[in-house]
Amino acid sequence: MFEGPVQRLIDELARLPGVGRKTAQRLAFHLLTVEEADARRLSVAIADMREQVGQCRRCFNVAAGEECAICRDVKRDADVVCVVERPQDIVVVERTQEFRGLYHVLGGSLSPINGVGPDQLRMAELKNRVEGESIQELIVATNPTVEGDATAMYIAREFKPLGVRVSRLASGLPVGGDLDYADEITLGRALAGRMEL
Amino acid sequence: MPDRARGTKYACPVAIRHDQAIVLRSYPFGDADRVVVLVSPNNGKIRTVAKGVRKTKSRFGGRLEPFTHVDLVLYEGRNLDTITQVAIVEPFRRLRGNLDAVVGAGLMVEAVDAVAQEEESSLRLFLLLQRGLKALDAGYYSPDLITAFLLKLADVVGVAPALMECASCGRRDGLTRFSFAGGGVHCHNCQPEGGVRLRAGITAYLDSLAQAELMSLPTLDASLSGEAMGIARRFLEHHLDRKLFSLAAIE
Repeated sequence: MFEGPVQRLIDELARLPGVGRKTAQRLAFHLLTVEEADARRLSVAIADMREQVGQCRRCFNVAAGEECAICRDVKRDADVVCVVERPQDIVVVERTQEFRGLYHVLGGSLSPINGVGPDQLRMAELKNRVEGESIQELIVATNPTVEGDATAMYIAREFKPLGVRVSRLASGLPVGGDLDYADEITLGRALAGRMEL
Repeated sequence: MPDRARGTKYACPVAIRHDQAIVLRSYPFGDADRVVVLVSPNNGKIRTVAKGVRKTKSRFGGRLEPFTHVDLVLYEGRNLDTITQVAIVEPFRRLRGNLDAVVGAGLMVEAVDAVAQEEESSLRLFLLLQRGLKALDAGYYSPDLITAFLLKLADVVGVAPALMECASCGRRDGLTRFSFAGGGVHCHNCQPEGGVRLRAGITAYLDSLAQAELMSLPTLDASLSGEAMGIARRFLEHHLDRKLFSLAAIE
């Protein structure tokens, strides 16, 4: 529809998640109007990310070298490891500024119905870490879904016998929400995990 | 009973309807939505959209987890119906705290998902799944419960295996082989192609499980339970023409 390179960029942008044809077109025309240096910086950033970023060999977070910035940070508490499904979940936990330990990215959650068993997740790598490092506690931060809960139960079953404390993120009421909108399962869990004041 | 109260989809001219169903599975759809697949006694398998349920402030995301028996209000869409209200009828809360029971329930919903048809009444299928989940919730998980469930499921969809008489000639003795394609046990005179040799007592074992109530299964020879489950699984997989992945996690 448009001149070759413009249409090519629109087609590429439209392949990104959450970007439709109209948005792709708007982004492409925006890039056509900005300074050439700005557009080039974007293209270099994309190319650099693809070339330089890999997986942390220790926790499987995204990393620009062999290990990610969190694993390289000697001030972090290496006794506690937060187990998450995806690298994006690390950012969410980091934003709380409440956790100073290390992470382990499983790469998903147990879902037998979709053919995802322990062998498809990084459970063996987690076991190697527990046996080879000074880990005292695993905090399972998988999603509060059937699959996430099953993953947490599996981790507890496999790792507690190794002498490691296994805990799970609490489930409960969202801050700022109304009690009468809470569903029975969430409210039931909030009651079960209530705290003494 | 009028069509509207029964939740019949097409006889009812209004765009909003009520239904009861058990959640089979769900998968992400768009940024914050989920497609939720359920089985309803009146309408069989239904695919619905639950908007915004992946956000932590969702009012009913927690009610649409797999295995939950729910009462729904649906707004009919062109392709998928949208869930506008959900109330829990039975959460089966206890089974969620036991890994074996969760895997067993996963197998049950996977098998029901494989056989349920859209826009087709499936009362027996719904009741069987409900009984299976109740048994797991009450702590009755065992390989025999899974075997009994699979045999009953085969019966509900009309492919129950012959277990006490030869599937070819009807003879009731000398039943030594089992044929998945041939519809069950065979006597030594009727040699079915691809039949497997059976251990003594396995057909009686399978038959007792097929007849028993899920909540009160008989105590049987535990050494046969693994083989019995394997036969029930392979039989159902053969007739469904697909693999049941959850069983790989159990076996």
